[in-house]
This record gives sequence, structure tokens and C-alpha cells, in this order.
Amino acid sequence: MGPHTSHRRSDNRQARQAGAVVPATRVWAYAALVFMLFTVAAPLGLAWGQEAPAGPATEYRDILPGVVGSRNLIWIIAQQHLLLAGFVLGVPIFAWVCEIVGVRTGDPRYDTLAKEFTKLLTSAYATTALFGGILLFLLIGLYPKLMSYLTDVFFPSFLVYCVLFLLETVTLYLYWYGWDSMQGATKGFHLFLGFLLNVFAFFIMIVPNSWATFQASPVVITEGSMWARAWAATWNPTWWPVNVHRLIANVVLGGFICGAYAGLKYLMAQSKEERVHYDWMGYVGNFIGVFGMLPLPFAGYWLMREVYQYNQQMGITLMGGFLSWLFILQAMLIGILFLGANYYFWLGIMYRIPGSEAKYRKPILAMLVILLICLGVWMTPHSLVASLEEARKMGGTHHPMLGVLGVMSAKMTVVNVMILVTFMSFVMYWRAGKQETATWAKAAKVGQGLILGIATVVILVLGVWGYFVPAITRINYFSTTQVLVMLFVLLTITPLTALVLKSAKTTTEMVWGIMPPRAAYALVLNAVMVILLMTLMGYARSSSRVHWHVYGVMQDTSPYAYSPALGYAAAFMSLNTFLFCLMVAFIFWVASLGGEKKGGAPGKARVKEAVRPAVAGAR
Amino acid sequence: MTLAMKGAVLLVAVFLIVKFGLPLITAPLPMSLIWLYLFLTTVGIVVYGTLSAESTEALLGPIFRFLGGEGLNGSAKLARLAVLVLVPLLVGWQTYSELVPSSQPPAENRTIHPAPPGEFVGLANPVPNTPENVMMGKGLFSAFCSPCHGAKFNGNGPASDGFNPPPANFVDPGTIAQLQESYLFWRIKKGGVGLNVEGHPWKSAMPRWEVELPDEWIWKIIMAEYAGSGQKPRTWE
Amino acid sequence: MTEVQLLQTIGLSVVGLGGAILLFVKARFVRVVAFVSIVLGGFTLVALSIPQMASLPPGVEKFDVASIKDKKELASIGQKIFFGKGQCALCHTIGTGEGRCPDLKGIGSKLTRDFMYESLTQPQAYVYKDYEHVGPAKFFPAKMPYINKKPIGLSKNEILAVIAFLQNMSGEEVTVELSEIEVPGSAGSASRRGVL
Repeated sequence: MGPHTSHRRSDNRQARQAGAVVPATRVWAYAALVFMLFTVAAPLGLAWGQEAPAGPATEYRDILPGVVGSRNLIWIIAQQHLLLAGFVLGVPIFAWVCEIVGVRTGDPRYDTLAKEFTKLLTSAYATTALFGGILLFLLIGLYPKLMSYLTDVFFPSFLVYCVLFLLETVTLYLYWYGWDSMQGATKGFHLFLGFLLNVFAFFIMIVPNSWATFQASPVVITEGSMWARAWAATWNPTWWPVNVHRLIANVVLGGFICGAYAGLKYLMAQSKEERVHYDWMGYVGNFIGVFGMLPLPFAGYWLMREVYQYNQQMGITLMGGFLSWLFILQAMLIGILFLGANYYFWLGIMYRIPGSEAKYRKPILAMLVILLICLGVWMTPHSLVASLEEARKMGGTHHPMLGVLGVMSAKMTVVNVMILVTFMSFVMYWRAGKQETATWAKAAKVGQGLILGIATVVILVLGVWGYFVPAITRINYFSTTQVLVMLFVLLTITPLTALVLKSAKTTTEMVWGIMPPRAAYALVLNAVMVILLMTLMGYARSSSRVHWHVYGVMQDTSPYAYSPALGYAAAFMSLNTFLFCLMVAFIFWVASLGGEKKGGAPGKARVKEAVRPAVAGAR
Repeated sequence: MTLAMKGAVLLVAVFLIVKFGLPLITAPLPMSLIWLYLFLTTVGIVVYGTLSAESTEALLGPIFRFLGGEGLNGSAKLARLAVLVLVPLLVGWQTYSELVPSSQPPAENRTIHPAPPGEFVGLANPVPNTPENVMMGKGLFSAFCSPCHGAKFNGNGPASDGFNPPPANFVDPGTIAQLQESYLFWRIKKGGVGLNVEGHPWKSAMPRWEVELPDEWIWKIIMAEYAGSGQKPRTWE
Repeated sequence: MTEVQLLQTIGLSVVGLGGAILLFVKARFVRVVAFVSIVLGGFTLVALSIPQMASLPPGVEKFDVASIKDKKELASIGQKIFFGKGQCALCHTIGTGEGRCPDLKGIGSKLTRDFMYESLTQPQAYVYKDYEHVGPAKFFPAKMPYINKKPIGLSKNEILAVIAFLQNMSGEEVTVELSEIEVPGSAGSASRRGVL
């Protein structure tokens, strides 16, 4: 929007883009105004809704009960803080990797991309801290009992957190403001700064994780020094699974948000150069998002295992009880994410490689059908929603035939198959438009086919066999074998393809910048799905504590101790996702206001090199 | 045949198969599941159809032209008019039927395995697993449980027809094989009335056996149920 | 209108508005916002189409000391404390093997009642040196806390109830007498809490 106003004026003759003249500044001005009103209104509401406390220490305060309510307000603010934090932690990883790729390949586009995203960090970082501050004040005000307990346990790690924040801030400023002055000989130091930035960011993530995971899986705190107590509470059973899960998810978030940003910019682009640049950027974002996503299900699986081991009651509430429908919704969202990512790869083949349609339509159809069948299996619940009459015909809420699709064995199998299909989509994209010249290329192809075929058969056989063995055998041996087989395929076919393509000659050059608008919408859709998933699973993690602040230790005795029904929760998730999207758009827009005067559109200067390959498959 | 028509045919075919084809060999599917499969089919058609510019035109072109009324005449014109009138009416009727009070109970998703109360989590079976104990458990099972759950542990006892939902079938790998012994202990001891809020709507005619049977007998019955149905209790390690 | 219907109406309106924008508005950014709204509205509608079920907290249970009739009832109260307020089950298992701390299967027949009481109130006084497991010695990461002090802070009545539970669970006779449970108002216990 903002930076390209000058282009827009000159391009008005293009009839189709005439409609694109958005009074962007005005839209944002209104949005900012509404937002300010909201933030001003919140503390006022606190003042109105509150009567003077009487008697013993206040345990809870409420805020506009019946209209907003303390729990709902915390819900929104905490979710915004968490999403922003995920973004702020994901982007440095993303930027740092891009910077390294840029140095390794010598492709200046990656350095520009990395810089473009680091620029966002400064404003995003401030916003995250702002929401963290609001959250803290609200928590102290609204949940004094809980906060004094947590402070009692965790005070030392509050201090650590503050120190980490100082270090992170200094590093971030050096990293960002030193970008241009540390090119050339001092680039190595700049890369080290980026590394340091990510190390601090990682610790900034895991320290608050310990507070949240302690609430879900507390351990008994023995007497001892302040530090010993805090350390014992930090090292709780679900701490590391959550750390790993969140770290990977942050990379995915960073990648897909980059993709969505590129998609939006692509839609609004006024010149060919911009379209080429943002088309490419969308590709890189989607690539990083998809590859981050592949190990994510297993990190989640590990987390669930630890939850079950810690407390089966909590595990059953999540997977079989009150919250089990969340996982069907999760399957739906992840399924759409998989479809969206594949759709984007397929569109890339069809549009960027001219004349490929006839060759690739059939394999794409096959992959699509497999994906949809897997998705159908994954989304078929164990106990179905049925009216009384339907249930009577089925003889219960289990369907005699389709009920078998509802159990874990089937789900694990189709997830693995879906990951394999997505990976093959990518390999197909990678190889498209190239002719292998190596003498052993044929043998390699046959080998790859064999690996893939055998792996698929093994995964399916284990999946079916899983019905006939005790659950523990299935979980410990069969599921892990399936995952290992899937990883084996990824780790053999990727280098093999890279080797074959090293000597291949390109028959058709990739053409950037002619993707249809729906590709950009697919990128936006993927980002929305990832954010929704984070809000959904965050809700699952948090409400698995049911009516406890600290599970089994401190009970929630406020009027909001109940967990709301899924529809109500989903409305909040949607609202949170929407607010976050707007906020990110705002941050992007603010960041784009400044630095564009010198260089013009980022893609403009680089367009001549835009056909050079760097990330695997980006040719 | 254009892509649009192929898509329509596929959609109708999938509907006919899941709605009328599958019931020929198994129980009919609930509408919620049929909608899900139709939705997935539609997504597939749209994804496949919009892969390239030409196919997008082949898929969406006829639909848009028909709705736009471009160059239509005679019966096609009437058909368009009918669609434009009927679709809003259909939506209105759907909304009305959603809101109108009916005698049908609402569709429900019963939580089959609600989380047990804390004191029933992780109890181990105190009775040693000896052939004598299993034999005794089987005897107790046939006396107290088999009228409903069946002599073959398959939920097909003589009284089972009287219950909706029917008594659990222990041979099905989706029932007791997914659960720990302590879970069964809770369900047998506390019965349908002992289900917690999470298990709502309860709809279980299971008696509260703690009134009649000592704990030791219940543990023996649990052993017998696993032995008789050929299942193993779930373990976590 | 119920809450679900209200939310459904909002969801449908958002989706409808988004559709109208996609049909009639050309501004790209607004179109993308509309697209996102449709996706989010659709998600909410799907979640609303599932039967709605909230999870309510259980009612607060209070045990009236005066109404305890027999030892079995005392043991069942102890069981609730063991798995609830006492937080024992955070670490200890009963017969299901290796928890974070020693398994308590049959503990009521292994230990005397006084020893159990001391283990709960003076946990470091005696630590079984030969708490033997098969295989390598087991490392228990957490030290047993004082049960009668903060943060758990069970009252004497509650600790006695837990001991009654442990004995009953091990198939032993409960040696805690009902007369030991201090009823408020009776001599010498005016300051103690009357409810467990």
C-alpha cells in the first residue's frame, strides 16, 4: 500500500488496477482510532466494574462482568501477546536462515528479504512487549491469588527473564541498525549477532513456558533456597515438549506470515518488478513454512505422551473427553493447510513452467485424491454427531464400518501419508522443467520410486496391523516406525534428487510474476490456518487444566472456572486471529512507511538476478 | 462433457454412494458425516479445476454464464430463473427448520470416555491374575453382567435389545482395549449415575455395582472381561 | 435467542458481508480482509454446528466431621484428600509402578500408623536406605515436603484420614479411631479446624 503510491498514480491507465486505489492511510487511521478507543476503554471499564474490596485479601477482580469479563479480557490479551511473541521469535530464525542462505549462495535477494523482515522486528518487538505489559498488569489486577502464588514460586526466573530481555533488546538493535555497516568483512560478526539474537530469543521463550507448563503439570515444591524452588518448578514434565513444539511452530508461523505478506503485496503490486519479487518471496515463505510443518505433528505427539504420563485424567479430558472435538477441528485446519500448501506448489508448476500442464495434470490428480482420502479418514470422528434416529440405526454413536477410522492407528497412518504426498509435491515442483543428463539418472529414479513405494506399503501395513496389537505396542513401536520410515524417505530422496539435478539441464525456465490471484489467496489462507491452529491448540492446552489454576494444586474459584463450549471458544479464536492479522498488517505498514525513499521498491533493483536459484527448488 | 458437468456428476455420485450405496452393506451414515464427505469432494473439484487458467474457465465459466444469464434462451432461461428463486427459498427454509421447535431431540455427541475422577486414575488391580481368579471372575460375569453384555462378551446378551445405546461390546477393539483396568473399575463401581459432568449426556443404564458387589469381585470381573474378549488392558509403559 | 443462535447469526453475517465485498468491491486490501473474514466466520460456524458442551467445575465438597459414621467413610474421605488437596498423587503411584516417587502399594501393611504419621510431618527423619528396586538405584528428584506445613498444609484430621485410606487400601484394618478426629467445640480443640 503505502510505499507504492507513486507507482499507483502512473499506472492508473491499467483499467483493472484502477479499483486498487485504496485510501490506505485513511483506513489505517480509522483502525488506529478504534484500537485506541478500545485500549482507553478497558481501564475505564475496570474502574466502573469494580466495587471496593472488603474483608480478607482479594482473590479475584472482575471487569465489566456480563459484557467482557476478566477471563475473556485475559484470553484476548494473552492470545495477542502469545501470537506476537511467536512472530517475534519466528522472524529472527527466518531472517537469520535467509541471511545465511544469502551469504552461501551470493544471491542478494535473500539478504534483502532478511533485512526486510528484520525491519519489522523493532516495531513488532515493541508491540509484543506492550501486550506483555498489559497482560501482566491485568493478571496482577484480576487474578491476585494466582499471581502471588506464581511469584512466590518463580520470582528468581522473573529476574532472569528481565535480564534476558535487556540482552535481547541490545542484540536486536545492534543486529538491525548494524545491518548495512556490517556488510563485507564484518558480515561474519553480523551473522554471529543473528545467532546470539536467536539464542536469547529461545531463552526468552522457554522461561515463560516454564510458568505456563508449571500451571498444567506442577511438581511438588520442596523447601530450599528461592533458586532451588524455582528451578524445581521450572523443570516440570511438559516443559521441554512445549519448548520444542513452540520453537518449531514459531518457524512455521514466521514462514507462512512471510508468505501471506508476499501474497498481499503481490495482489496490490503495480509493476512487473514488484510482482516478480513478491511472487518469489511468497514461494520462499511457503517453502519454509511447509518444511517447518513436517516435524510438527511429532513434537505434538511427544507433548501428548508426556501429558498422559503426567496425568491420565488430563490426557483423557484432552483426547477422549470434553476436549476431543477440538482435535477434529484441528484435523480440519491442518488438512486445509496441507491442501493449501500443495495447491500453491501445483499452481507454481502450472504457471511458472510454461507448457507443463499436459505432463503434470495426471500426477497432481492422483496426489489430490490421496490427500482427500487421507483427510476424509482423519476427519472422521470416533463417536459421531448423530440425531437420535440416526444413532438408533447405527446402534450407538460408533458407526460399525467407519468407526474404525476414528482411532489413533488410522490417524497416524494418514498423517504420515499426507506428509509424504506433500513432500512428493515439492520434489515434483523441484524437478519440473529439467532434463536429467546423468547416466545413472534412470536408476536413481527407479530407486526413488522403490523407496517411496515400499515406504508407503510399510506405513499402511503398520497402520492396519496396529488394530490388532495392544495400544502400548502400537504407540511405542508401530507409530515410531511409521515416523522413522517417513523421515527416511525425506532424508534419502532429497539428497538423491539434488544430486541428479546438479547435472541436469534446464529445458524450461521458470517465469516469476505471472501467478494468478488465487495463489496469493492460498498463501493468505495458509497463514490464517496456522494462526487459527495456534489459537485452537492454545485453548486446548489451557483448558485441559479445567477448573484449576495450577492443576491439582490451586483451584479456580472465580465465576469463570467453567470451560466454555467449543462454539463460543471458536468465536474467540476467530476474533483473536482477526485482531492479530490486522495488527501484523499494521506493523508491516508502519515499517514500510520509512525506508523506501532511497532504494525504491525492494524488487526493483534486484530483478535482473531474479532467475537465479538458491533455495532448493527455487529455480 | 465440460469440467463443470463432470464435477457435478461426481458430486452427485458421491452423495448417492454414501447416502444410499453404503447402507446396502452397513449401517446408514449420519448426515454430519455425509456433509463432511461432500465438502471434501467439492474442495477436490475446485482445487483440480482451478489448477490452470484454461481449466478454471472450463469449470467456472459455464457456472458464471448460467448464473449471469448471458446468451441463454428458452428452457435454459427458465432454469436460471428457477435457480435464482429456489436457492434463496431453500436457504430460508433451512433457516426456518433450524429455528422451529421440534419434537426431535437435538443431535448430540456423547463423550464415550469421559475423564475419570482423580481417585480412580492409575489404580492397579490388587487381585493376582491367576486362572482361578479369572475363572471366578467369569462366573461372576455370567451371573451379573452377561444378561446385557452377553455370554460372549460382545454386548449381545438377551436383555441388550432393551437399551439405547446398546451395552458395550468388549470384543470391539475400540472399547475396553483402549482403557485401563482402573477405568473399568470406576465404570462398574459407580455405574451410569456415577458419570461426571464431562460425560454428559449420560445415557447409560449401567447399574451402580458398588451397592451389591465388593471391590474384589469387581476386579475379578474386570480380569474376566479382558480374558474372555481376548483383549488386553491399556498400559502406559 | 440462545447464545449459540446469536453467535451463528454473527458468523453468518460476517460470511455474508465478506461474500458481498468479494462480489462488489475491487480494492485489493479490503478483498483480502473479506476473504479472511469468510474463512474465520466459516470456522466459527463449523464449530457451532457441533453439539455444544461446556465443562463445569465440580461442586465444592465439605466433609462434616460430626457426621462420619464409620472407618470406611473416613478412608474414602482420605482417598479424596490423597488425590486432591493433599497432592500426594502428583508424585506417588499406587501399584502402577515407577512414578516420580516411591510406589505406595501395600504401604499400609508395611508401615505402622505412627511411622506414617511421622513420614508425613517429619519427612526427613527416617529415609529408607534400602528402598530397593530391581535394577539400578532409583533417583527420586523431589524431596518429600512437610505435609502439615505450607504450601500443602493438611490439618491433623486430614492426615489421619489419609492414613486411614492408606491402611484400608492395603487391606489392613484401619487403626485410626473415630474418637481421635477432633470435633470443634469439644475440649482442647477449640482452635482447630472443624471441617476436614
